[in-house]
Amino acid sequence: MSVARLKPVPASEPSGGGFYAAAEKIYPREISGRFARLRQAAVVVLLGLFYGVAWLDWHGHQAVLFDLPARKFHLFGLTLWPQDFLYLALLLIIAALSLFFFTALAGRLWCGYACPQTVWTELFVWIEQWTEGTRSRRMKLDRGPWTAEKLLRKTLKQTLWVALAAWTGFTFVGYFTPIRMLGAGVVSLSLGPWSTFWIALYGLATYGNAGFLREQVCKYMCPYARFQSAMFDKDTLIISYDEARGEPRGPRRRGAAPRPLGLGDCIDCTLCVQVCPTGIDIRKGLQYECIACGACIDACDDVMEKMGSPRGLIRYTTEHAMHGRATHLVRPRMLVYAALLLVASGALSWSLVTRTPLILDVIRDRNALYREVRGDKIENAYALKVINLDDRAHSYRLGVSGMDGLELSAPTELISVPPGSVSNIPARLDAPAARAGGVHRIALTLAATDASGISVRENTRFIGPSP
Amino acid sequence: MSASPEPERRARGLDIALVLWPSFLAACAASLLFFAAVDPAMLRDGGPRIFAGLDREAGYALGFLFFWGIGALASALSIYLVRTERGSRLPPGAS
Repeated sequence: MSVARLKPVPASEPSGGGFYAAAEKIYPREISGRFARLRQAAVVVLLGLFYGVAWLDWHGHQAVLFDLPARKFHLFGLTLWPQDFLYLALLLIIAALSLFFFTALAGRLWCGYACPQTVWTELFVWIEQWTEGTRSRRMKLDRGPWTAEKLLRKTLKQTLWVALAAWTGFTFVGYFTPIRMLGAGVVSLSLGPWSTFWIALYGLATYGNAGFLREQVCKYMCPYARFQSAMFDKDTLIISYDEARGEPRGPRRRGAAPRPLGLGDCIDCTLCVQVCPTGIDIRKGLQYECIACGACIDACDDVMEKMGSPRGLIRYTTEHAMHGRATHLVRPRMLVYAALLLVASGALSWSLVTRTPLILDVIRDRNALYREVRGDKIENAYALKVINLDDRAHSYRLGVSGMDGLELSAPTELISVPPGSVSNIPARLDAPAARAGGVHRIALTLAATDASGISVRENTRFIGPSP
Repeated sequence: MSASPEPERRARGLDIALVLWPSFLAACAASLLFFAAVDPAMLRDGGPRIFAGLDREAGYALGFLFFWGIGALASALSIYLVRTERGSRLPPGAS
């Protein structure tokens, strides 16, 4: 006789005592299945990018480097300056709108697969499982006395955790200080005090959040967990237990038909609770602690298959589908989020494509409105600030327009500016006195002499004697 | 709620998290906005004398810590006011 009641392991539910109840340590049970594989793939891809991209080079400089000491951001071929703050603002708006869009569409995808908290916790749990074993072994180890084996396993775990956290802190700071220089500094023990401080702070945060706090970050510290439900409606994809199908729950023999026994499909094995990284019971309904990782779906599908019942007692579904109604993918909320997202992305792409890596600031001479020169000409003086935002040197020719007889008397030669540099240049314009009376709106143009086609136009005024 | 040391210690830990964490987020946003407009080297070269000898790296770090500190002060004050409110349903041990 094979009884399907699985190992009677305590379900370790949080005691639900509210704000001040002692948090019970959660021992998430190891899990395999569709959603576990998806999350593992996300961990490999996202952390691979994080740890790897810092070492990429692009045309002789680090490909992604937020060079704070030099106040320049390198993003592959693009160099952004503090003047380009607009792009960063747009990027943040796009990120927020994407979060809204995907939350309304498919619930907490972010929490389950992409949030750094989830991704690093997953990595730390892998280390924990590798050093301390399965869930039941970990629980036994923690309850038991301090034997040599316990000491060894715990030491190994902590060593790996600290090493990983330190490497994470180092990589993080490597996005702000050239990482090879940083590495050389670490190796030769000549790291500056601030780099050391930031590596330690970020390493400590990683260790604390992923090793120690884990689900408590989601439950007590994450603002998104609290307001994400505002983006939810009855057509949002959620993870849900099919109560109508599962209840009344209870153990039964493998292969026994539940209905004649007066039972639903849930065999009350509590595996869904044991695998939950936040320690909730999904059968109690949707809770804000649920980070939608899908571990309970994997666990339950496995059990249902063993029992010979169809999968999906716990599944991704919508509230409408659960009540036998149609789910609408397209709804006003989605259209609004999508439209806003398109506008913001369009604005970012357009401004990046049309971005000119050259800035010309024109300031009129503050000392004199105008000067009479050579008897028959009126001269105005300007201070030019030429900022070459490109990562190549350029030579520019200055031109003037907007007024008859207006001529450039200085500078007559080309203006050369090294990459990423500023040149301050005095400029003088003159015009025949007969035509110069009053205030004229004129324009200065600066055009690169090479094939890059870079040019800018800046409006200013030319002032002559009152007519 | 019991007054055993465990929940009290936990309340204290939670309070520390509630002070440090939101102020950290606010400090990130404040640093981003502030240093997009202000170059720490500008403070050193043209600012008051207390900024003399400040390099950019130190400027960013101290600026961030300054914003974090101010934010933490505000968070701590909020928590203190909530915890010490008369008739608060939260235990006094948490103040």
